[in-house]
Parts: sequence; structure tokens; C-alpha cells
Amino acid sequence: MAAPMWSAAGRYVDWGVIQISVTNLVIIGLMIAIFVAALLVPFPGGSRHDDAEERDDGRG
Amino acid sequence: MAGADAAPHRSWTARLRGRIARTIPPGQWLPDRQPQYVQSWIYVFGVATLAALVVVIGSGVALALGGSAWWHTSPVGHFLNSMHLWSVEIFFAAMVVHLWGKFFMAAWRGKRALTWITGAVCFIGSIGTAFTGYLSQSNFDSQWISTQAKDGLNSVGVGAFFNVLNPAQMLMWHIVLLPLVVGVLVVAHIVLVRRHGVVPPFDAVPPAQQETTPTTETGASELSGETTRFESVEAVTAVRVTTRRSPQERP
Repeated sequence: MAAPMWSAAGRYVDWGVIQISVTNLVIIGLMIAIFVAALLVPFPGGSRHDDAEERDDGRG
Repeated sequence: MAGADAAPHRSWTARLRGRIARTIPPGQWLPDRQPQYVQSWIYVFGVATLAALVVVIGSGVALALGGSAWWHTSPVGHFLNSMHLWSVEIFFAAMVVHLWGKFFMAAWRGKRALTWITGAVCFIGSIGTAFTGYLSQSNFDSQWISTQAKDGLNSVGVGAFFNVLNPAQMLMWHIVLLPLVVGVLVVAHIVLVRRHGVVPPFDAVPPAQQETTPTTETGASELSGETTRFESVEAVTAVRVTTRRSPQERP
């Protein structure tokens, strides 16, 4: 029953000596996307922090 | 009485207290102010790793209490078993993104080499802990992984000391020895981060440096912005930044 065993093992991508499952490849791609997003997406709450600090300093 | 005043300072408790205070000065534990550049998502992944580790340890303690028969058969056991797995997945994903960020920031700058080293060794130790966790599932998956791993470990000569076909030994490594190593390294890593502060970006403006007249690489003064450049990277990294704004910015 080779076909069911193969399908149960999942799909793989082959590049020469490199063999990786599609699942792991997608996960690595998502991690790289998250890394790039962490560098580019603005961090929320910056203005709120400034307001809080101004209140602390007696300016707000 | 001078003798009475001097006596406590000779005790080991006073010396230990002084050592702790010197290691991390008061105010650097759990600070409520951080440099401006910390307002970036890339600084989130370290604490995300720690949060995932807390869930890993909590779910692992629950699994240890119930045992393998419980986590394989009861609904709550299944849930906590899955929670243990997925918190580990998040732990590793967050730790790898944290590692990438710190690598490209050259986070070993400014006398932070030991911070970098403890983090890197902790990463390696975590891989070993996860591997022994796969061996401790007590199912066909763990049997398959152990038989595949034994040849590799025997080929490097450690099979006599680290027998992956011995589930009891692997369980003890997974829940006692390796968590102890990882735990000590994590605590050391956090202490070092608190002691030296998070690494600033290459173009950060340390407040202590702002008090002087900084010059850019082209010789022009740029005190008005957050992206002032200095003549050298060392000028930036040698200063520990503990306040969010420079003194002259305050009223």
C-alpha cells in the first residue's frame, strides 16, 4: 500500500541534496514573514506612552 | 558601636546582598521606562519566548502529575498534551525570530558577549530538551524517533551515556536535567539583559552622549532627531541607556 503511506507522510520538496516537507517550508516562510513584519510594522501605543510620560513629568 | 556596625558586613548574607546589588543596581529590575528604540516589534520576541516557556513549564508540570496513561486517554490530558506541544512550537518560533533580530543587530556589542553566548547555548539546550520530549511521548512516534536517533548518536560515541532507547533515562533528561540547564541559562540571560540593557540599534542616540556635542559621520550636528549618528559604533554601544529621553529633553 505504497500510495497511502506516501500520502500519510506528506508532500516533500526536493532541491538536490535538500529535502524538506511542504509543511516545514511554509512554517519557515511564515517565520521570515513575521520577522520582516516585526521590522516594518509600527509599534502601537507610542503616542499613549508619550502622554503617560508627560503626565508623569507634570506636563500633561 | 563601631564593632556592632561592622559585624554584619562580614557576614555572607551581607556580602551576597552587596554582590546582588552590584550585579543589577536598584531600578534596573523590572524597569518602567525603556529607550525610545525599544518601541519596536522586534524587541517583543524575547519576552514572547519567555511567556511561551512559562506555558511549557506549566503544562509540563501538569503532564508529570497525570502521567502518560492520563495524557493519552483523558480529554483534559489530550488538551494539556497539545498545549505542551504547541507552546513549545511557539517557544521555538519566537526564539528563532529573537535570534535573527539579535544577530542582525550584532547584539554582542557593548560588552554583551556573555548575553549572546548564554542565549545561543540556551537555544542549543532547548533543542536537546525538545528532542528528549519527543522520546518521552510513550507512543509509536517516540519509538520511531528513538530508533532513528540511536544510530546517529552511536556514530558520535555518546550512545553509552545517552541511550535514546531507554525511555526512563530520556524522561529524566527531559523533565529534570535539561530543564535545569535551560532554566539556569535563561535566568543568567535575563540577569545579563537587565544588567547591560537591551542592545541599541546601530544609529541609536544614547542620552549620555547627547549631553555632549555629537557629530555625524559627515561632521554635521543632528541633535534634533532620534537617528543621530556618531562617528563610531563604539561611541553608541559603550553607553548603557536606562532612560527613555535625554536629560535636555525634560523640562
